[in-house]
Amino acid sequence: MNAPPLCRLATMGKEDREVRMSLQTMKVLEAFLENPTDQLSGAEVHQRCKLASGTLYPILLRLEAAGWFVSRWESINPSSAGRPRRRLYRLTPTGLKRASEVFASFNRGVLA
Amino acid sequence: MTSERVVEWTDRAAGCLVHYAARRTPEPLSQRLEEEWLADLAERRSGLSRLRLGFGCYWATYSIAREQRVATVAAASSPLANASVAGINRENSTLFSRRTVTFLLVASLHAAVLCGLAVGVSSKFVKLTPNQLEIHHIDQALPPIDLPPLAKADLNTISIDPRKPDDKLTFEPDPPPPGDVKEMPREAQGGTGTSLPPPVTINRVQGGPGIGFPSAHDFYPPSAIRRGEQGIATVSACVDGNGRLTSDPTIVQSTGSSRLDEGALTLAMAGSGHYRATTENGKPVNSCYAFRIRFDLKN
Repeated sequence: MNAPPLCRLATMGKEDREVRMSLQTMKVLEAFLENPTDQLSGAEVHQRCKLASGTLYPILLRLEAAGWFVSRWESINPSSAGRPRRRLYRLTPTGLKRASEVFASFNRGVLA
Repeated sequence: MTSERVVEWTDRAAGCLVHYAARRTPEPLSQRLEEEWLADLAERRSGLSRLRLGFGCYWATYSIAREQRVATVAAASSPLANASVAGINRENSTLFSRRTVTFLLVASLHAAVLCGLAVGVSSKFVKLTPNQLEIHHIDQALPPIDLPPLAKADLNTISIDPRKPDDKLTFEPDPPPPGDVKEMPREAQGGTGTSLPPPVTINRVQGGPGIGFPSAHDFYPPSAIRRGEQGIATVSACVDGNGRLTSDPTIVQSTGSSRLDEGALTLAMAGSGHYRATTENGKPVNSCYAFRIRFDLKN
């Protein structure tokens, strides 16, 4: 069985949701796959991926729209905490499955 | 104080950018993104990082709008799809995309700055004198100025003491240097000798091989050594004030051996820069002089 080449990664997952896969998107997914149960804010993802905010937030929104991520507000009181509440992102089971498939395909394509 | 103002300014600018960028996104997203981005902005430590986040959020609005434009009905379950219509209409209403317009604006701004620099450097901003002078005639008599009377010159007090030609001026020459002392003749100074200043004495110290001048032993031709040839060559060298040769040295008096003469010339050439310049009254001058080079097998 031939592994899919890297150029086909951009069209992967079209059968269920529109996710344009890029290296930046894979970086974001990799940050979440370190511990799939983690809930990360945009600032934390930025610290892990070192992606510019102009690239990061569209990716987060895109993955959320595709159903790979879910997000919720941080459960704090901003006035008592003295800071705005953060938006926390988490991988969904679908997102975890799809992300694992993407990285498995990518590794097979690179290492073959 | 200045750094605090800069930090305050960057914080304010980053906050304004985030607010403005969030307002540019579709309505269901704008409030959420504004709060989310402001929370992330609060976690940034440095002012530069906050400013970058502000610009990044502003740039992200273009990507978000594009994503909304290509959103399909399949994503209707996502709350993002509700806002896609506004983004599509706003994007399609212009001839160029916003990214293209931004790129054109930035490029034109760069071109304007470069053009301004190029023109500004070549033109004169400061004019020291006005181009047109206005002349006004003032018909008003100036008040007389009281000047002190001029002192009368007493011409009788001027006495001329013509120096007689036989007057002997005492001239203390410098102590004789270890070289030639040349005295210029009085006739050579262009006068008749009757009313000339005292003769000018030039202390000329002849130059010669100086410190660091190579040894004759190093330039003894091996062929001459094998033949047992010895001799003294007189070489003429022209040297400038720095002790460097100004022309190729020549043999004035041969040793009788062409090999030794050639070695002497090679030695004289190699010594360029190590000649002691001729001095006149202590100042080095260009000159030509001869010196001897001894090739002796005993040494």
